[in-house]
Amino acid sequence: MELEETPKQHYTEAERQQIFDHEFMPHINSMYNFAYRLTLDQDDSKDLVQDTYLKAYRFIESFQKGTNAKAWLFRILKNSFINDYRKKSKEPSKVDYQEVESYYNSEEVDRQITPDLRVEALKDMIGDEISNALNSLDVDFRTVIILCDLEGFKYDEMAKILDIPIGTVRSRLHRARNLLKEKLSEYAKQMGYKTA
Amino acid sequence: MSNPDQSRMKQDCANKRECMQMLQLIVDGEATPEQKDHFLKHHLEECLPCFNNYHLEMAIRQMLKSKCTGDCAPQELVDSIKAKVIRNLTS
Repeated sequence: MELEETPKQHYTEAERQQIFDHEFMPHINSMYNFAYRLTLDQDDSKDLVQDTYLKAYRFIESFQKGTNAKAWLFRILKNSFINDYRKKSKEPSKVDYQEVESYYNSEEVDRQITPDLRVEALKDMIGDEISNALNSLDVDFRTVIILCDLEGFKYDEMAKILDIPIGTVRSRLHRARNLLKEKLSEYAKQMGYKTA
Repeated sequence: MSNPDQSRMKQDCANKRECMQMLQLIVDGEATPEQKDHFLKHHLEECLPCFNNYHLEMAIRQMLKSKCTGDCAPQELVDSIKAKVIRNLTS
């Protein structure tokens, strides 16, 4: 459960309450957004956030006061999602990471370098296009964009939250952004932008 | 960063793959100050594809931040979590 290898902490009841209120609860909005973007369901996301917070409380002595509570909480949420929620979905989306890695080192990368997408087209997307584009991505790709672009986690934090090497964080992020751009290009085309 | 005369810029990038990886590091705040300085102040001034890519990446990030964050967790959820934890504390 711990993010770093920390020795078990011992807290008084007052300290536990203090950590919970001042280090865990301030992240509730980010946690809810993360849960919602993962499950794409309001009820599931509420349950997931609640489960995560109760787990965090139960394992509070694995958390060292004053360290990175947000990353610690995100990791618990991500693990709960994989263990409890992802199984429920009818069609568990799976990414072939081997494919992702080889993609990153392939010539295909070069071909996609100049996306057919322009800043002007993007700025005209004033509705839910960007949110829908994000939600349409496979959950593993969605996750890295949420962590990096929405929540501002650094690569090393993402590596710990996701239990993957930093190199994989980078390649997955790269692929995720290309997929997002492809989706946004489709919207731009529908809006009548020429994407030559 | 200035707004360079685009017609005088290189229309094709000779180091696409390296540049793209560097661009990602910069956009994600993971590049060193030297890398950032070189790329933003030198390379982007002369390379049109990288200039365009940089602005596109930044625009996407801004859009993501403004459109996909900022919602609050429902108050009932916050209350329910707090109540359950307090019950735990007193039990």
